[in-house]
Amino acid sequence: MSTHTTAPTGGTAAGVPGGIPGGTLGLAGGALLLGVLPFLAGNAYLEHLLVLWMLYALLALSLNIIIGYLGELSFGHAAFVGVGAYTSAILSTQLGLPPLIGLPLAGIVAALFGLVIGYAALRVVGPQFAILTLGFGSILYTVTNHWVDLTRGPMGISNIPPLSLGPITFAEARETYYLVLALVLIVAFLCHALVNSRTGRAFIAVRENAPLAASLGVNVFHTKLLGFVVATAIAGVGGAIYAHYIKVITPDIMGVHNVAALIIVVVVGGRGTIAGPILGALVYIGLLESLRVAGPLRMVVFAALLTGTVVFLPGGLVSLWSRWRGPRHAEGGAK
Amino acid sequence: MSTAMNAEILSVSGLTRVFGGLTAVRDVDLSVRAGEVVGLIGPNGAGKTTLFNMLGGSLPPSAGRIRFDGADCTGLPSHAMGQRGVSRTFQITSVFPSLSTLDNVRSAAYRTTKAGWGAAVFRTAAYRNEEADLHRRAMENLAFCDLDHRADVLADALSYGEQRRLEIAIALAAQPRLLLLDEPAAGMNPEEGQRLVEMIRRIRARGVTVLLVEHHMRVVAAVCDRLFVLDHGVKIAEGPPSQVLNDPEVIRVYLGRETVDA
Repeated sequence: MSTHTTAPTGGTAAGVPGGIPGGTLGLAGGALLLGVLPFLAGNAYLEHLLVLWMLYALLALSLNIIIGYLGELSFGHAAFVGVGAYTSAILSTQLGLPPLIGLPLAGIVAALFGLVIGYAALRVVGPQFAILTLGFGSILYTVTNHWVDLTRGPMGISNIPPLSLGPITFAEARETYYLVLALVLIVAFLCHALVNSRTGRAFIAVRENAPLAASLGVNVFHTKLLGFVVATAIAGVGGAIYAHYIKVITPDIMGVHNVAALIIVVVVGGRGTIAGPILGALVYIGLLESLRVAGPLRMVVFAALLTGTVVFLPGGLVSLWSRWRGPRHAEGGAK
Repeated sequence: MSTAMNAEILSVSGLTRVFGGLTAVRDVDLSVRAGEVVGLIGPNGAGKTTLFNMLGGSLPPSAGRIRFDGADCTGLPSHAMGQRGVSRTFQITSVFPSLSTLDNVRSAAYRTTKAGWGAAVFRTAAYRNEEADLHRRAMENLAFCDLDHRADVLADALSYGEQRRLEIAIALAAQPRLLLLDEPAAGMNPEEGQRLVEMIRRIRARGVTVLLVEHHMRVVAAVCDRLFVLDHGVKIAEGPPSQVLNDPEVIRVYLGRETVDA
């Protein structure tokens, strides 16, 4: 894969700021390859996997803002994915709203949930914050499971119409792939701009040393809340696209396996980097499918992968690249 | 710089901090004029760091007032004091460990930069100019602290002495009006201490007011215009170093009680 050649992270890989970011050529090459992938795939099954890869990449990029840049572990991210998915699904199936309006609304509703939950949970840090997000996530899951009038409970919502934009309907895997790919590239660029801005440097300063960041004028709570809300908004949009693509959603989308999946993708790929979550999503989807015969045992493989990464490769798979290039390029990534 | 030289930049009156039944700082008055280097000394547990934490905003006072640059700043949080131009270093070395030395200093310029995320997305002219300026200032700052040759090294990988200098470079990157240094010479050998003395003199020459907590009497005597002495949270003496360090009461509570590596 060529995506891991870009690795613009919370540092100064580009050298002189204000110039053309380093690896622009690699970035263009990577985008081009991603653009022709569906034609190389050749069958609907592989195209479907490509969509899942991009969806997980999008969701992982959003979670990476919390885990990688702010340095807090959230066990609640899947709940915001679910909020976005249900918002758009309910609006389109019950109110008949065009999914294209539902998509931004899904982001806004998820961000509102993120604002309220973040406002409460970001008062504490570290393990306490992680536990609180787990609690809030479980509450959202339980409410979704039991508020049958609105969500149809465990039966889920089916017959969700596909997204459409004018004459284009994103019913098939190939169209959806391009839609999500575009979003992944946009979010990747937004993350790149973030870490090269005053705002993103404040995020990373808070992650590295919150008391020191505060003494330099950074409002730690507001900074974290901003990152959390942006991350949940992106998660909501990702969830909505998932709902319109798969056409059926159940409360399982908020379940613990999805929470774990997103964390595994971010950590195994490389937290605090942009290529990491995209690469991690590829590894996750690839293993998920190729180990399908192993059934539930796959979870053991993923657990081992996560543990092994944390112990032996704390910077994730992308850090192999910087190790190979030399220690000078190890930057901004995980602690 | 709105405060003229010799005008009072920091004034503290009746500052008190109580932890449960312990009064760590009791009714302390002190004032610092713009451009001064003022030392705060006292035996361990005298309340120096508690006083510093109140000045830096990380600890709200139980009673008393803090005025900085003419405005009442009592009880303001840390980031608000930082925004007003009070920078500090910490007693235990405090840097951004997994960032390069250069990025440590760039990240510290939050107070003096403006172009945020949106500007970076659209790569506006203001953003590009500010980034170039930020890079230049950061390199100047590193050169000032003799770290420019270590710009690409992770802060974690710096030596102890280099990390202590990086802390000062970080604090200076915020372009502070008042710099609070908490035991900057701790763990330094005499040669490094001498280097620190020269650095503090150059910081003063840049127009930054300095308040430092320090145990090394040689450093204190060499750079400070005035000293305040705390003992058990109470101010027991103040004045020029020559006078304070010869004060029998100061010698009794402080110099006579523990070994001073002067």
